[in-house]
Amino acid sequence: MQDDTVTSGSADTKVPHGKISFVRLNRSEKIQHLIFMLCFFVLVITGFMLSLLPGSLVEKLGRFGNAVFFYRSLLHRAAGTVMILTSLYHLCYLAFKPGGHRWLVDMLPRFKDATDLIHNLLYFVNIRQTPPEFDRFSYMHKLEYWALVAGTTLMSLTGLMLWLEWRWSKFLLDIGALVHGMEAVLACLAIMVWHMYEIHLKPHRSPLDNVWVTGRIDEEEMKKEYPLHYKKIMADENLQAIYMVRENP
Amino acid sequence: MMHQNQKNSGIPQSVLLRMAKAMLFWLGVAVVGLVGTAHAQDDVRVDTQNCLLCHRYPGMGRFDDKGVKRIFYINDLKFANSVHGKLRCTNCHVGLDRIPHTDIKKVDCTTKCHLKEPSTEREFSHENMVQKYEASVHGSNGTNKAKPFPEDLPTCKYCHKNQIRGPVGGWGGVSEAVANETLSRCIGCHTKDQWAQNYYLHFTHRMRRIRSPEEIVALCTSCHEDHAKMSRHGLDTIETFKDTFHWHLVEFKVKNAPDCITCHVPVGFTTHDIRPKKDPNSSINEMNRVRTCSNQGGIQACHPKATEDFARGRVHAYGAKARLATGEHVNAFMDNGDSLLMERAQKEVSEQERWHFKILLYIRLFYKMLIPLVIGFMLFHQSLDFIAHFRKRH
Repeated sequence: MQDDTVTSGSADTKVPHGKISFVRLNRSEKIQHLIFMLCFFVLVITGFMLSLLPGSLVEKLGRFGNAVFFYRSLLHRAAGTVMILTSLYHLCYLAFKPGGHRWLVDMLPRFKDATDLIHNLLYFVNIRQTPPEFDRFSYMHKLEYWALVAGTTLMSLTGLMLWLEWRWSKFLLDIGALVHGMEAVLACLAIMVWHMYEIHLKPHRSPLDNVWVTGRIDEEEMKKEYPLHYKKIMADENLQAIYMVRENP
Repeated sequence: MMHQNQKNSGIPQSVLLRMAKAMLFWLGVAVVGLVGTAHAQDDVRVDTQNCLLCHRYPGMGRFDDKGVKRIFYINDLKFANSVHGKLRCTNCHVGLDRIPHTDIKKVDCTTKCHLKEPSTEREFSHENMVQKYEASVHGSNGTNKAKPFPEDLPTCKYCHKNQIRGPVGGWGGVSEAVANETLSRCIGCHTKDQWAQNYYLHFTHRMRRIRSPEEIVALCTSCHEDHAKMSRHGLDTIETFKDTFHWHLVEFKVKNAPDCITCHVPVGFTTHDIRPKKDPNSSINEMNRVRTCSNQGGIQACHPKATEDFARGRVHAYGAKARLATGEHVNAFMDNGDSLLMERAQKEVSEQERWHFKILLYIRLFYKMLIPLVIGFMLFHQSLDFIAHFRKRH
């Protein structure tokens, strides 16, 4: 798997000529994101079918309800399994791949994230005139990523508990079912409010940010959104080899 | 003057009035009979007492003293195909010697109906079922004392509707073909077609479930979701069943979905003899839980690997009793008159159950606070971002 990219940055020049773009997600990360996203959609649809589908609509399914329920259960378990396997792969990726190491280090929470949050809020209300300078991952990315890690862990554990129901006491299963349901609501709303805004509603990215497909952003956006990371790349040839792509040599 | 007239004619006016009413009634019967004969069907099955002379008309009925619409129409074809199709009307409706029926008595299902029960060669009666039922939770609950509020308890007719018999698996399609083939084998020896048909339907009727799981839940919840009725008897309502995974299977009409009787009357138990859970003869008694959850011997092994730990817990979510026992807020319907519910809650909800209830309550509470906080912050943050973006642009 190509994890370290993709670089055509010349080692003997500090700044490559021509149009350049920057790698935000490498191929492995894009595939992980894609699988995770598809699983998430399947899990949300097949999971909330149980509690959110109105009784009148279930009634309309009539004799097809049996088949719908069967495939719902099958798909939910299949998507859950794939999501767990993808998460386990992600752990291996973090542990054993250079791209994973960099991801983990860059994603670790720092004190600057707290100050960035306050700074950004002040910028939003016009008290500060400039936004904070973000590194590779802003506090927004870190919040979402670590919430995803916690949420996936809880959902996987409780989902497996419910799947292997006979191994547990009914009380533990009740806790599992409750946490699974509540965490699902939290995850769904968080994705809808936080992530959907980032990729769909944020004015300069609407209607859809395509970084999840291309894995890259152009220099202008890089300078604007992640100025600290941009400066680091420009000052370090090794980082240029990893993150910089010259598109029109 | 009036007295003088009566004396003159020799017949009192009240007698004349009664005679006129009787003539009108019989005239009505005759007209109805004549019109009816003109449209009569040839295949009236078991009406040896000619009850259908009147009762075949769909419009036949009245409103009783309580204003309830009573329909006295009998569809003879449907009745002939029903579980009581071989009986005469007067086997169950004792009395009825007069027309109009002023001497009618309430149907008593323990009445011997003059059919011979083949295993004992005695006259058939539902008495044994009624006895079991009397001892069950729906009767005296094994105490031999009448329960308070007897009007709340279901009668035979509340659940039994004189169902129409049918071949295995329902009506029509493949099941009809199965019926035809099976019957053709029976008729080889048992030459009376109608007898073989009745015998076949008697068995196949017992081999299928008459009500769907959804209908069973609807039937049981018609009483068990009635807060006032249940609290009078010191019982929790069971709407919490609809929070369970079992209900979702019922809702989606999954085959053999677990309804009320799946757990409360599994294989080896009878619907008429549902016992309280502390009774060792109850399917939900702790001693029998593993067997009930695994449904050993049933059509479908529900939780074949069920352990004691798994089977010991509650299936319905905690209801009003747990809330009362732990001092949590209870819905408005719980007024001061529900002292019985409170008393039973204190007695029946164990320490462990209270502890479990509280843990689940606090987890739910934690999420109920966490979700609005997190999502509220996200909305706040993203809204500011959105507004700031446009402000900076202009």
